[in-house]
Amino acid sequence: MTFNKRSLITVGILSIITASIYYFFTQKGIIYIWHWEKIPEMLFYYGSKSADDPTPKFRMGVLMMGFVLTLKISVFSIFFGIIIGTVVGIARLSHEPVTRGLSLSYVELIRNTPLLVQIYIIYFFVGSILRLSAFAAGTAALSIFAGAYVGEIVRAGIQSIHKGQMEASRSLGMSYGRAMRHIILPQAFKRIIPPLAGQFISLIKDSSLVSVIALADLMFQAQQAFARTYYAFEIYFTVALLYLVMTFTLSMATQYIERRLAISD
Amino acid sequence: MIEARNVYKTFRTPDRKEVKALVNFSTHVNKAEVVVIIGPSGSGKSTFLRCLNRLDEIDSGEIIIDGVNIYDKKININKIREEIGMVFQLFNLFPHKTVLENVTLAQQVVRKRNKGEAFEVARGLLHKVGISEKENVYPSQLSGGQQQRVAIARALAMHPKIMMFDEATSALDPEMIGEVLDVMKTLAREGMTMVVVTHEMGFAREVSDRVIFMDAGQIVEEGTAEHFFTNPVHKRTKLFLSQIL
Ligand SMILES: Nc1ncnc2c1ncn2[C@@H]1O[C@H](COP(=O)(O)OP(=O)(O)OP(=O)(O)O)[C@@H](O)[C@H]1O
Ligand SMILES: [Mg+2]
Repeated sequence: MTFNKRSLITVGILSIITASIYYFFTQKGIIYIWHWEKIPEMLFYYGSKSADDPTPKFRMGVLMMGFVLTLKISVFSIFFGIIIGTVVGIARLSHEPVTRGLSLSYVELIRNTPLLVQIYIIYFFVGSILRLSAFAAGTAALSIFAGAYVGEIVRAGIQSIHKGQMEASRSLGMSYGRAMRHIILPQAFKRIIPPLAGQFISLIKDSSLVSVIALADLMFQAQQAFARTYYAFEIYFTVALLYLVMTFTLSMATQYIERRLAISD
Repeated sequence: MIEARNVYKTFRTPDRKEVKALVNFSTHVNKAEVVVIIGPSGSGKSTFLRCLNRLDEIDSGEIIIDGVNIYDKKININKIREEIGMVFQLFNLFPHKTVLENVTLAQQVVRKRNKGEAFEVARGLLHKVGISEKENVYPSQLSGGQQQRVAIARALAMHPKIMMFDEATSALDPEMIGEVLDVMKTLAREGMTMVVVTHEMGFAREVSDRVIFMDAGQIVEEGTAEHFFTNPVHKRTKLFLSQIL
């Protein structure tokens, strides 16, 4: 199946689901007065913001501001998650028992405690010691969380590369580090793109938890908007769609990268 | 060029059994000499080669290469490995790199040659092993014989003083064995110092100076190829030769 056909089918299925929900509402006699007209201004509006900023112009509405923040925090966390994960994945395979032990403890600690608790600890404890902003604390928590999972994926990826690759590299005089960088990691990363994509899609969704530390992400903005208006369905359907835009784009992008890298197979 | 003295190497398997791969193993290889090692499976042939560039580490004894004790704590093993080319049974080409990149990478990152120089060396060697026209394809698009010739070019690109071959033709279809052996024979005639694990007795007869027959981690018998064809002494040697010839 080609790339475009597949995305077409995905979009088709989503439309059917949406239509069914709509049908269910109208046919089952649930009385609900839709206020879809209020949603666009939560995305973009034209006008002034406050007395301090009176010039009328196009501005982002609350949901779009939340979307941008979620996007930002996700991009940062994915970036740092890859860096932490690569270091941890290599450390897990180290010949040094201390390095191995430390990296294993990190992975186990992070994977066996709830993300929500980690966010609170980093925000209230570490954050107040280091005077981190909510954004920095949220990004740190998500990066550390992602790093543990990415580390395990990277470790498995490295182990899946035939040991002859390392031996050939070393026999040419490459150091362990050079062999990792030029030979092992590029092949491992190519192989782990699908599980990494899955991990990062989860991360985008899990990022909604940072709303608990008053970070004005998409989820936080949605809760605020709901508290003001009570348009639960409209707001949360829109929010779901906005999350879907991010995750779906990521999933399409990784499929594209995967196909690009397949040329050497 | 190579001097191995009283080398012992024991492997411990995951179930804690001990496997003696090399037992008081001593030999030497002179400059420009071509030594062929034969022996039954598990006799320690690969282990010996791998101990020569420390892909495996010996337990005791010493190995001196070009005057340097390679197990000395002070030496940089990467420097030693630059001088010893190794060709593997399963080629071990880098699948994510093109043929040309396979041959230029180590030149650039290890030998620190610039791109132009590395490409020139690589093209020369690819021509020598007869695959110039394939320089931009990936290894997966090559036949086994072609892959092994690229692997030889990759090792030669470091301009090593010694070349080791570990059953370089045993994973190949019969019709491709010749093309790889031809490259190896050319090298031998050019005066390369070579340690070759192979069961190709024709190759041994044509270019080797000496054949070593190993069993159970030790040298059982050694001599010219002709000696092995005409009057092998030991029972184990005769039995082994009767199986491969
Ligand atoms: N990494 C290892 N762990 C445990 N045992 C090993 C390891 N490598 C080799 N051995 C054992 O050491 C012995 C010698 O192995 P080696 O690979 O040197 O034999 P070989 O002569 O090359 O055999 P073959 O012709 O099958 O390649 C064998 O008994 C083998 O099982
Ligand atoms: Mg072997």
